[in-house]
Amino acid sequence: MSFTAFGTATRQFLKLCLPWVPVGIYFVEHGYSLGTVHGRSMQPTLNPDSNMLRKDVVLFNHWAIDRFDYQIGDVVTLRHPDQPEKTIIKRIIALEGDVVQTRPPYSEDYVRIPRGHCWIEGDEMFHSNDSNRFGPVPLGLIKAKVDYILYPFDRFGKVPDKPRGNRIHYAPGHRLYNRLNDIE
Amino acid sequence: MSRYLRSTALVVQVACGIQLFNENIAEFTWCFGPSMLPTLNMTGDIVAYEHLTQRFSKLDTGDLVVAVSPLDPSKLVCKRIIGVPGDKVCINPVSLHRQYITVPPGHYWLMGDNLNNSTDSRVYGPVSGGLILGRVFARLWPSPKWLGNGMEEIMEFV
Repeated sequence: MSFTAFGTATRQFLKLCLPWVPVGIYFVEHGYSLGTVHGRSMQPTLNPDSNMLRKDVVLFNHWAIDRFDYQIGDVVTLRHPDQPEKTIIKRIIALEGDVVQTRPPYSEDYVRIPRGHCWIEGDEMFHSNDSNRFGPVPLGLIKAKVDYILYPFDRFGKVPDKPRGNRIHYAPGHRLYNRLNDIE
Repeated sequence: MSRYLRSTALVVQVACGIQLFNENIAEFTWCFGPSMLPTLNMTGDIVAYEHLTQRFSKLDTGDLVVAVSPLDPSKLVCKRIIGVPGDKVCINPVSLHRQYITVPPGHYWLMGDNLNNSTDSRVYGPVSGGLILGRVFARLWPSPKWLGNGMEEIMEFV
């Protein structure tokens, strides 16, 4: 193949592919994308290994958040409220109206989640920088839902649930209200 | 058949390209309500805002911004930045007993221009920078006009 033929082929290829670049970026930003999880705040759900070099690869679902589909128990990524350029990964513990019993760094024992906010915590309570430090976070900061663990293949599958415990008093009218509050 | 496919593909490509431009460079939105009254109409204005300032530079006191409402993630609000991180701001200058708050890192204190009828940081507290979408730079309709930083220096009487 001569040099000019190679150039023509490249040009043909670019002409075919370049227009699809915005479509790809749109899919990655609003559909699904892959990412690695750093840190140990979500142990043992994510990065259960104490080896810091092995990181989980997970599937981010942006599409669900674009439709405002938040549920208690979802693992989500969100912008850190104090450092907007930083993204953190936590679990939604409570939504607006619920009363949460907080953990030590927080100044009050109980907090009612204000309108449009949620309470997020890491699964590893001792090594997590979460709502117990910075309080309820606005739902608008949530960027993506973490649905599936992709990479260590032995743990491939849906992100496991975590038992809800009895630190949350769900608001009347909440989907979970009757099921959980009556037990107490 | 292939012609239809090709034109559909073109529409998808152009739509995604426009969407990318809107999300990363500039877009316009319709905002209405009494909270920004002398600056923007109550009946609705189309304003243009850009995402570049907060990405490559810093938002400043006096900038008009469009942000996701902390009270409802599906709504946008248009407010003016009164305090940037580290500033000490008065929570409610209209009230008799004034209280002051230091704006926490990464947050902004937002207020409407019409203090008597505005749901702003006085209600929901400092707003995280992650909720701010962009800085308003122009009004497109009615009466197109550039909207810059509205801060004016007040002459000090010593």
